[in-house]
Amino acid sequence: MKRTLILSTAICALLASAIYAFGDIARPKPTPVEGKTIFYTGLTIVPDAKSYEARLQISQETLKRLQSAGANTGGSPSVVQNVMHSSTRTIVAGLFMFLAVSFAGVWFARSSQRRNHKAIAAVLLIAAVFGIGTVLVRANAGPPGYIRWQNLPQSLKDGKATSGGLNIEIVPGDENIKLIIPLRNPPKPGEE
Amino acid sequence: MERTANLPLAAWPVARPADRTRVSARLFAVSLIASACLSAALASWLPLQVSIVTVFLFAGPHNWFELRYFLMRLPARFGRSRNFFAVAFAGIGLLTLGYLALPALYYANVWSGENWPVAIATWNTLLLLWLAALVIMRGKQNSRRDWSWALPAAFGLCAVNWLVPDLFSLAIVYLHPLVALWFLDRHLRRTRSEWLQTYRRCLLLLPLLIVGMVWQLSGTPSLADDNGLAWRITQHAGGQLLPSVSTHLLVSMHVFLEMLHYGVWIIALPLIGASGAIWSTRTIPLTRRRGSFPKLIVAMLICSLFVVAVLWMGFTFNYPATRDIYFAVAMAHVLAEAPFLLRML
Repeated sequence: MKRTLILSTAICALLASAIYAFGDIARPKPTPVEGKTIFYTGLTIVPDAKSYEARLQISQETLKRLQSAGANTGGSPSVVQNVMHSSTRTIVAGLFMFLAVSFAGVWFARSSQRRNHKAIAAVLLIAAVFGIGTVLVRANAGPPGYIRWQNLPQSLKDGKATSGGLNIEIVPGDENIKLIIPLRNPPKPGEE
Repeated sequence: MERTANLPLAAWPVARPADRTRVSARLFAVSLIASACLSAALASWLPLQVSIVTVFLFAGPHNWFELRYFLMRLPARFGRSRNFFAVAFAGIGLLTLGYLALPALYYANVWSGENWPVAIATWNTLLLLWLAALVIMRGKQNSRRDWSWALPAAFGLCAVNWLVPDLFSLAIVYLHPLVALWFLDRHLRRTRSEWLQTYRRCLLLLPLLIVGMVWQLSGTPSLADDNGLAWRITQHAGGQLLPSVSTHLLVSMHVFLEMLHYGVWIIALPLIGASGAIWSTRTIPLTRRRGSFPKLIVAMLICSLFVVAVLWMGFTFNYPATRDIYFAVAMAHVLAEAPFLLRML
């Protein structure tokens, strides 16, 4: 009994000290505000030896789409953003999904006792087709965006144009237009 | 006998029933295809203008025809279907009131715009559960049917609805016009079974027309919605929910489907006799029931005609506001189609 009491006191003291230990953890740094992607388009970087100023050329159609996308930034977030930022709706959707799967299981068990084998086979077939389709679609996904920008330094040296995808983001503040190019470090000689 | 045998048969017109059926089926198919192609062409060419004119001309009358049709399909005595109709009418009433209350409560600042998706999702959930209840009740009326799949299906749709409530509501806007084609199918099966195969073959044209419209219009610039009416029409077709899709395509598609919907209710179903003789109330079973009030039914139909006239006047004096009110109140006829379609299955 005495030993148990001492052991319990020691555990409580250890747990209490943990609170103080956590109290020493520094405050998390405020996460920087991420830019909100409003539009996806293409970008071509063209070195021009004759120009004196950098120029940004935007076609009229792209500008219209950009204005339209910019106007909608406050009103219509994407579906994924919508779901991510609404925990209530996600919870209710999950609850209904749980109910759907549960009741479908009961229905499946009941109907398999009867005669509905063809319907079940059809459902399984459709599920399999969708699964295979998903695998195929994912397998056919294009290369990541940074691949197109890999040759940018060399192309700039050679005076060639380079094209690739571009997400246009709206960031808070009043800074200059910034172009961020996804360049991976080239492998150093001897690493390969 | 000899005289009969010697009659010159070649001089007689084609009188065999099979030939008559074939000719009438061909005429039916040609009418369907021509109507669908003309509707698609008009909707693609002048979407906003055709939308305004179509809703002005046909929105009210098609509701009157639907009311006339529903009255005709209502049994004189509910019998075993008493509970089914009780749930159906209660659902139509409460869901319509709820649908009308949503914008009213929003404008009364009862909730903020941020809660709007939750309110819409809740209403859609109630709609789906009501439909599932009707399907299960209808299924139980026949021992050979097992329609208990309706519950997991409804729950699955509820889950999708809670993830994307606005898009789910938009799907109802686009799918509702197609329900009329289902009604036509069921009636042809009952009254003109010889046309059914032709009709179903013609239906294959529908996805082709839709794909053709998408192909032609997906690259077109969006419609100029610089005035309130054009903005309302593009919003109703999902312009804000699908910003990457041209509103020209969205409005054209919606108008095309609406034209098919109006065509079925105002032309096709009355022509094949599904609505009975329009001015005769004898085809309405409720009027023949002992102790019923046939004059009340007649008065209801006449009052409905008056409402159609009021709707036309409203469209004339303030088209945008009347259009908003119409599409809110018209939810009742969208809901009413469900139980009557289930009764046909």
